[in-house]
Amino acid sequence: MLDFLSRRFAAALVTLALATVVVFAVVEVLPGDPALVMLGTEARPDTLAALRAQYGFDQPLPVRYLHWIGGLLSFDLGNSHAYGTPVAKLIGDRLAVTLPLGALALSWAVLVAVPLGVLAAWKHGTAGDWGVMGFTQIGISVPNFWFGIVLVLLFAVTWQVFPSGGFPGWRQDPRGSVVALVLPALALSLSEIAILTRVTRSAMLDTLREDYVRTARAKGAPERVVLFRHALRNALIPVTTVAGLIAGFLIAGAVIIESVFRLPGVGQLVYDSINNRDLVVIKNVVVLFTILVLAVNLLVDVAYVLLDPRPRVAA
Amino acid sequence: MSGFIARSRRHVGFQIGAVLLLLFVGTALVSLVWTPFPVDELRMRYKLLPSSPQNLLGTDHLGRDVLSRIMVGAQTSIAVGLISVGIGMSLGVALGAWAAARGGWVDEALSRTSDLIFAFPAVLIAILVTSVLGASARNAILAIAIFNIPVFARVTRGAALAMWSRDFVRAATALGQGPFGITWRHILPNIASVLIVQATIQFAVAILAEAGLSYLGLGAQPPVPSWGRMLRDAQTYIFQAPELALWPGLAVALAVLGLNMLGDGLRDLLDPRLRLMRVG
Repeated sequence: MLDFLSRRFAAALVTLALATVVVFAVVEVLPGDPALVMLGTEARPDTLAALRAQYGFDQPLPVRYLHWIGGLLSFDLGNSHAYGTPVAKLIGDRLAVTLPLGALALSWAVLVAVPLGVLAAWKHGTAGDWGVMGFTQIGISVPNFWFGIVLVLLFAVTWQVFPSGGFPGWRQDPRGSVVALVLPALALSLSEIAILTRVTRSAMLDTLREDYVRTARAKGAPERVVLFRHALRNALIPVTTVAGLIAGFLIAGAVIIESVFRLPGVGQLVYDSINNRDLVVIKNVVVLFTILVLAVNLLVDVAYVLLDPRPRVAA
Repeated sequence: MSGFIARSRRHVGFQIGAVLLLLFVGTALVSLVWTPFPVDELRMRYKLLPSSPQNLLGTDHLGRDVLSRIMVGAQTSIAVGLISVGIGMSLGVALGAWAAARGGWVDEALSRTSDLIFAFPAVLIAILVTSVLGASARNAILAIAIFNIPVFARVTRGAALAMWSRDFVRAATALGQGPFGITWRHILPNIASVLIVQATIQFAVAILAEAGLSYLGLGAQPPVPSWGRMLRDAQTYIFQAPELALWPGLAVALAVLGLNMLGDGLRDLLDPRLRLMRVG
């Protein structure tokens, strides 16, 4: 078991190392002169030279890369060009919005999707099943940011029960902050609910055909016990995998949703940094996203091992 | 083929998808020759009007006719989808077929590279590309195409590997045909249905991605009409003209829904055992 997990961990580290090379290449090598990108073509030569010296752009590429990696390892990411504050603190503050948003959306997605999927599989082939499947087809087709705008139209413009956007801050107004995350989390979770429902349904259809389910029914176990203890427990393995994959997409989807609701999260930071051409922030945020995605995948592997004893031996 | 048509008559999802796709493509074609108003005509006196017989879907913040802009926006969506899926598909299929035919280090290198690309969420690849190369429809297409390459490479590799172990392919090898000839004559024709279905789904994903990028201001730039961009502008006026925020989103949703239903229908009709990748 430890062997399996440590191999997965090593693979994730290799992917991460390669990812940093790619990000470095795209952000600092591809554009030619990063200082020129950050300041624009009309910048004066002495300002350009000062910026190059400040960020070490005048040094050879391998030195610059190693310096950045050294900074990543010690959480010293340098200062943002646009904000003038340390990038690590900037990202940390923004994570305090994005992580709760993602967690809320994921929990909501699991809470809705698993019962829906179980229901559809249990009522396989009936109108209820068709209804659920139709809903999932719409769920993956509707752009989540537009769903967010529609939610604003309904709950902020028409009924005025939720704010249309903005974030009061955890310290200033904890309750208001939670309220501010409700609509964005709903918008973010729509397509995830659709995907998870489909996965739950097809996994349940598989397990409901198994011999042990028939045995449980033959023993006279109540349908509730058969569904949830026997069938769902085994169907949860693929559901966990997909939930983990989805968590990665949630983080990325947050970029657009935070823009819809004007939430000061990591997504907004990426967006602002693009407009400010703040390459220092961009490259670190992208690596952070990659770390989050890889970490979630590792967590899925751990959950996998806990739920299903087979990969412990097979791998 | 006649069997396919007969079966498609009984597949409701496929039919709904086909009708929605016809509507989508038809709108784009009609807009090439006719729109109710010239798309870029500014009439500030008539700005933010609600639906009326003159402007069926109202007017935007510059007094432009929303219906006309949605019609021309369909062209943008189709162009972005076709080109990005076209690039991603040609490169991805070539790479995947190569990996399956060659095996060994080529296969290993390709699999690891696509793992690497999948470690970055698609939106981030797009944001990285557009932040370095600049925001434009062309760069949005490029970004979406980059994400499509590993999707097609993976699907092609998996399907082609299954074909390589089939008897008729072994027979062709025994007859002395080279790997390129076998791939071209035997492998690709036999995995075409997988690729067609995947292309339909990726077309839908590309339209969603383009809408998202333009919404962020990273896709097509004004004055090119684009559904995502229209939503971005509409949100500013959400209290004065809430309707504006409905139509472009509905257009995206219907186009994507049509492609998704068509893709699922095609999968059922061509080969129910197909396994698809769904990544967004």
